[in-house]
Amino acid sequence: MQHILVVDDEPDVRDSVKYVLDRAGYSVRTAESATDALAELARNPTDLVITDIIMPQINGVEAIESIRKAFPSVRIIAISGGGNFGVTEYQPSAITTTAYLASAEKAGAHLVLTKPFETFELIRSVEHVLGVGHA
Amino acid sequence: MARLRATFWIYVTAYVVVVHLVLLPALYFGMGYVVRESHEDLFIDHARTFSRVLADEFEVGVALDSQTRIEDLLDFAITHGGARYAELYERGRSIRSLYGSSEIKAPRSTDLSFGQGGDGIYFVVRPIEHGRHHAELRLGFDEQPTEERIQLALTRMLWLLAGYLVVAIAVAIILSHRLSRPIQRLQAVSRAISSGDYTRALNVNTGIRELHELAEDLEAMRHELVGVNDRLEAKIKEKEISEVRREELQKQLRHHQRLETVGTLASGIAHEINNVLVPIILYTDTALQDLPTSGAPRANLERVLAAARRAKDVVKKILTFSRELGEAKLALIDLREVVAESLHLFSVLAPPTIEIRTEIDESLPFVRADATLAAHLLMNLFTNAYQAMEGAKGTLTIGLRYQEHPTVGRISQPHVEFWVSDTGRGMDSATVERIFEPFFTTRSVGQGSGLGLSVVHGIVESFGATITVESMIGVGTTFRIFFPAVARLEVIGALAAPVV
Repeated sequence: MQHILVVDDEPDVRDSVKYVLDRAGYSVRTAESATDALAELARNPTDLVITDIIMPQINGVEAIESIRKAFPSVRIIAISGGGNFGVTEYQPSAITTTAYLASAEKAGAHLVLTKPFETFELIRSVEHVLGVGHA
Repeated sequence: MARLRATFWIYVTAYVVVVHLVLLPALYFGMGYVVRESHEDLFIDHARTFSRVLADEFEVGVALDSQTRIEDLLDFAITHGGARYAELYERGRSIRSLYGSSEIKAPRSTDLSFGQGGDGIYFVVRPIEHGRHHAELRLGFDEQPTEERIQLALTRMLWLLAGYLVVAIAVAIILSHRLSRPIQRLQAVSRAISSGDYTRALNVNTGIRELHELAEDLEAMRHELVGVNDRLEAKIKEKEISEVRREELQKQLRHHQRLETVGTLASGIAHEINNVLVPIILYTDTALQDLPTSGAPRANLERVLAAARRAKDVVKKILTFSRELGEAKLALIDLREVVAESLHLFSVLAPPTIEIRTEIDESLPFVRADATLAAHLLMNLFTNAYQAMEGAKGTLTIGLRYQEHPTVGRISQPHVEFWVSDTGRGMDSATVERIFEPFFTTRSVGQGSGLGLSVVHGIVESFGATITVESMIGVGTTFRIFFPAVARLEVIGALAAPVV
């Protein structure tokens, strides 16, 4: 069984993604911040991390970089729901999510997924990144 | 006070006159004294010398013993010595020249000064001692001729001095006029300068070195002033221009900031809704998988899912406006193709009352844009123009041209300009100001969302292009979009490796 860690500060997003992937037969754990995720990765073997990009404290892009450095074998899917944020609590400067998604890819995410996504999109993305199914 | 001040020439003349009025009488009296003294001295010297010589003559030989000799000598004094009276007196005996004036009474002693006694005669009394003789020679000289000579000399001197005074005043007037002319010229120019006319040069020709130098100094000052003035004027103009530019930029900035604020707000909302939509879609979808293929719950959940997807589309639209064009794929496109396509589509929809004109350049450089979004953009502008002319005849002009140096905001690089011009109602400046704000509309409720032009703005920004609008009530409105032109070399590079 493959282990997936879902990282999102939004409990509804976290839980629904976990629910869908649980049903698809994966072993899913969750974390509500990048810090928690890194601790969790150190504790348990993980194959895939699905992480939100815009999160408080450590944002997703930094988290991806850290994960790629510390756990090079872990696959990563970055997810984010749009918006151009000015100076908000999330971001120090106005960077569009598009730019964020691009930087997430650059930071080492194997795939980026825009919120909201369909169930099949999520499952296919996971299968694709983990190299199972039709891949 | 200035009015009380005399002009230069009056001042100089008055000064000269006053000085002369003080000096000339003194001079007159001084010189008169000298003249009178010298004349009198001359007269007295003559009288005394003559008297002594005559007295010596009486003392020679036996002259005193001869009546005839005495009379001859006395007569000689009258005829050749200038005397009016001649008498020899000896012990009660008095011999007088008959030529002399008989009314004159001789005094006993010599006059001490000229004019003494007021009788007009100067008397000289000389003792003659000869042997037994103890006589007195009494001579009276007429003072009148000398007095007349003195008076004549004084009169002439007075005339001379009067003439001198006149000449001096004339010289003073002429000189002061000559002096004041360049000063007046300097004055006129300095007045002109003080009243703001800096163009008159100080060409003062004068032989007086000080004035010439003063004029030169003033001219140098004027030059400096003109320079300073020009520099000041240039500075003020520059400041005015920069002020206008600043205001223009501030206006743009405010406009931009407002759009950005609304955009940020919309993005924030979109982000939140997207987060909410994730569980709705995922849970509904999985619930549907668990339900039998038919039945009311399934139909209901399918409607929930459909509504969620519609919400997703709405959010996407809002994000389009707020430049969140993640999906937009910028590629090098030929705007003429996009315009032709949109125009074809629009001409089918447009009512026959609207005449469509096109002004499109033969060849245009490529621009970086998303063809679908560009078509969407154009349709939005066409629709907007057509609605502005609704119910009336009108002309819709669509243009495309290349501009090497357009004057658009801060950017001045080669652009492709696209414009849509209508002959519709037009807008006031307040409307123009807010035209790109989301949900801002002049149409009545139900006729439009007011999102159209804000979406247009969002799309234009995502292309890195600039949109401007000019409008006049009753004349019409023109929207212009300036797309940065892509250089030929870039195009070749891009064609080799297609832009994603």
